[in-house]
Amino acid sequence: MPAFSGERFVRLLLLLSLRLPGGSPADLPMTTEDASQTQGNLTQMPTRLNESSTEPMTTTRIVNRQTRESISDHSPVGHGVSTPGPDLTTQDFKQAIEEKASNFTYVEYEILLSGVSGTSKEKNITLDNPAKVELSCRLASKYPHLNIVQVAWKRGNETIKHINKTENSWSIQLTVTDENELGSYSCTLKGEEEFKAVFHLQVPKIEGKEKPIISYDGDSVVMICKSSSYTPIAWTWYLTNGSEQIAINDSLMSDKYVIDRVPANTTHLKILKLTKKDDGAYWCEAVFKLGKSKGKLKLKVLTFMVPLKPFLVILAEVIILVAIVFLYEVYSKKKEKHAEDEKEFEQAEQLKSEESNGVESSSTRHRKV
Amino acid sequence: MPVAAGRAASPPDGGWGWVVVFGAFVSIGFAYAFAKGITIFFKEIQDFFGTSYSEVAWVSSIMLATTYGAGPISSILVNRYGSRPVVMFGGLLCGIGMVSAAFCTSILQLYICVGFITGLGLALNLQPSVIIIGKYFLKRRPIANGLAMAGSPVMLCTLAPLNQFLFDNFGWRGSFLILGAILLNCCVAGALFRPIGVAKQSVKNQMIEEGKEAPKEEVTKMSMEMRNPAYAPAETKTEEEEEKDCCEKINRYLDFSLFKHRGFLIYLIGNVLMFLGFFAPIVFLAPYAKHIGIDEYSAAFLLSILAIVDMIARPATGVIANSKWVRPRIQYFFSFSIAFNGACHLLCPLASGYTGLVVYSIFFGLAFGMVCAMLFETLMDLVGAARFTSAVGLVTIVECCTILLGPPIGGTIIDTFGDYKYMFIKCGAVMVLAGTFLFIMNYYNYRMLAKEEKERKAKEEDPKIVRTENEGRSNWNKETLQDGPELEPLRDEQEGLKTEVNGTNEV
Repeated sequence: MPAFSGERFVRLLLLLSLRLPGGSPADLPMTTEDASQTQGNLTQMPTRLNESSTEPMTTTRIVNRQTRESISDHSPVGHGVSTPGPDLTTQDFKQAIEEKASNFTYVEYEILLSGVSGTSKEKNITLDNPAKVELSCRLASKYPHLNIVQVAWKRGNETIKHINKTENSWSIQLTVTDENELGSYSCTLKGEEEFKAVFHLQVPKIEGKEKPIISYDGDSVVMICKSSSYTPIAWTWYLTNGSEQIAINDSLMSDKYVIDRVPANTTHLKILKLTKKDDGAYWCEAVFKLGKSKGKLKLKVLTFMVPLKPFLVILAEVIILVAIVFLYEVYSKKKEKHAEDEKEFEQAEQLKSEESNGVESSSTRHRKV
Repeated sequence: MPVAAGRAASPPDGGWGWVVVFGAFVSIGFAYAFAKGITIFFKEIQDFFGTSYSEVAWVSSIMLATTYGAGPISSILVNRYGSRPVVMFGGLLCGIGMVSAAFCTSILQLYICVGFITGLGLALNLQPSVIIIGKYFLKRRPIANGLAMAGSPVMLCTLAPLNQFLFDNFGWRGSFLILGAILLNCCVAGALFRPIGVAKQSVKNQMIEEGKEAPKEEVTKMSMEMRNPAYAPAETKTEEEEEKDCCEKINRYLDFSLFKHRGFLIYLIGNVLMFLGFFAPIVFLAPYAKHIGIDEYSAAFLLSILAIVDMIARPATGVIANSKWVRPRIQYFFSFSIAFNGACHLLCPLASGYTGLVVYSIFFGLAFGMVCAMLFETLMDLVGAARFTSAVGLVTIVECCTILLGPPIGGTIIDTFGDYKYMFIKCGAVMVLAGTFLFIMNYYNYRMLAKEEKERKAKEEDPKIVRTENEGRSNWNKETLQDGPELEPLRDEQEGLKTEVNGTNEV
């Protein structure tokens, strides 16, 4: 936790340093709305220092994610926040700490626009808890000559007021408190060339299993859904009946369904006494503060006849092969014996003739060996 | 005794022997590869029974432990009934184990069905397969051993995708059922292990011609090994049983007198040491690759490279070991391959990046195949085909401990130091040590054997029948004298042929 609060503190210090005399010219064209928002931000950050143990985890995560995503997008966004705002005195700061504010985390994302005009870059942002989000579009510094006349931030058809963060970046700030505020936000830069970038704000996706889980009549099955980095508030399971999805109530049908929700980011659905009717698609739904997300799992219920057929086929093959081997052995032994008997007969004849000749034959000796 | 048998009727070295090699290929392949191949089902079983991964991994460990630990039981049964019935019974046992595993309702039942019963069945497959190769081959035995041992990587490469396919289509229960049927194919392999008929002929003649002069112990022992119910020695055997004393009776089933055998002890100590560092690198290769940043599929591919190189290395080693330069000094070749294996592990930490690891995998696969191909060949060479039956059982039960200890020790080292390289260094050092030990001790052994050979040649001036009798009686008294390396029959066979041509014959 000290590391986390240290980071927040550094950001706060950076922010304060920017507020000191000699702020950038771009600070000036700011609306009061933005200023209050920034102030709100400042109030958030100190309170973060006193946050309970669970919250810091999410914040650090978000900060890290933010850095990672930014880096992957080739836009180095430092932790230093260059959001303009009014000058703050130490007294204001103290006041801010004492203020009670909501548990909002602060994240920012940036898309660096470069390359061919007309192409649009996209970014997926996952949010599970309410947050203040700043989205910015930055034009790569190699295009200073392009006169960007018009900058538009839109969500669908609705235009959002933006701020000119620096001379070649524009951003909007959003407070996302429920799922209505999620969606796709786009920024369009028009000038000599046109650039577009889209941010998709979404709840975390739950992954189901692509391959069906296979089980048998009368057996039981356990289906698991995991949400790796985000902890949902609640889990619900649905089964598909025709085209509708029906929630599974495990308290009502406790001899058929058992739902295990511990630990919080995993859920187990155990279905007992399977029948053919239980075959089909199941959904596990994770409820986050900002919305719901579903994962699909497929269950296939087979009868025991299904694997029994290949089993019997292979069993038959084994028996046939063993029989063939033994029959061949008996057959070749008979052949050998037959040949030996003939040889013995010949030897006996030869012995008789040799004895009568009085010559020892070495061939007998050979045969003995 | 084996010398006399060799002279009387040498192993066919071909013909039906190659069919036996194929049967051994299948049998040995299942024995080694099955425990590894079954790990694909573990995730699902873990979810189903709600246990931790290590609890499920015990299934594999129990199976491996039983396969090695039940070696003496295997040896006793082979000594009594011969290879064929034992392998067929083993195959049946495997099948029953896996089929009953398909209906298990707890992890404990899985331990018993998959771990214990199937492991026992595989043990009854492994030892007799190795033993019967020794009975069918002499001159080409290294090639036969190399080919048969190649079954392990081939089966592993086949079982892995097969198990995945079965799992996707039938779930784990159905897969176990079908795998039970597949394991029954070991019975087919067993059916191919025709009891070797050539030596029987010689026994029959010995009895007819020499009568009581024939060393009785030899006859009974041979009849134990290659028992044919439709056969005369049954009478002789009952007579002998009363005459034997307790020690000899036990030794008839499992030859504990091997522990006085110099070559056997050298082999045992060297191998026990070697197995401490033998399997750990394979177990940790993929995790190590992932640790240094390689993705999962490339890490799995490293193991495939290892298996493919292994597949080719084993028969190739067999051919090399059979050549006239290497065969007389096969123990040195074995020690060299162990040391080479150790050297690979010691150099592994120097491998940087994926290409380095690929090179390491290739050399490791090569070294691994070389050692495995000669594992049983060298024991046969030291101990002789007749006593090999008991030897292999005793060796496997002693090795069982170190084999099972190897990976967990490696794991503890990794956890303690947090770095994989110490595990590789430990394995490499242990194997280089084992290789050097074997090299030095075998040099000593070869010298002692040469000395004893000279003494024996001196005795050869005596009438030949006396010598055969002496050999037979000294069977139980002086083991060291008779059990030289298997080259004895080779050289003596040539002599025997010469004497036959000259008209004199020794029977």
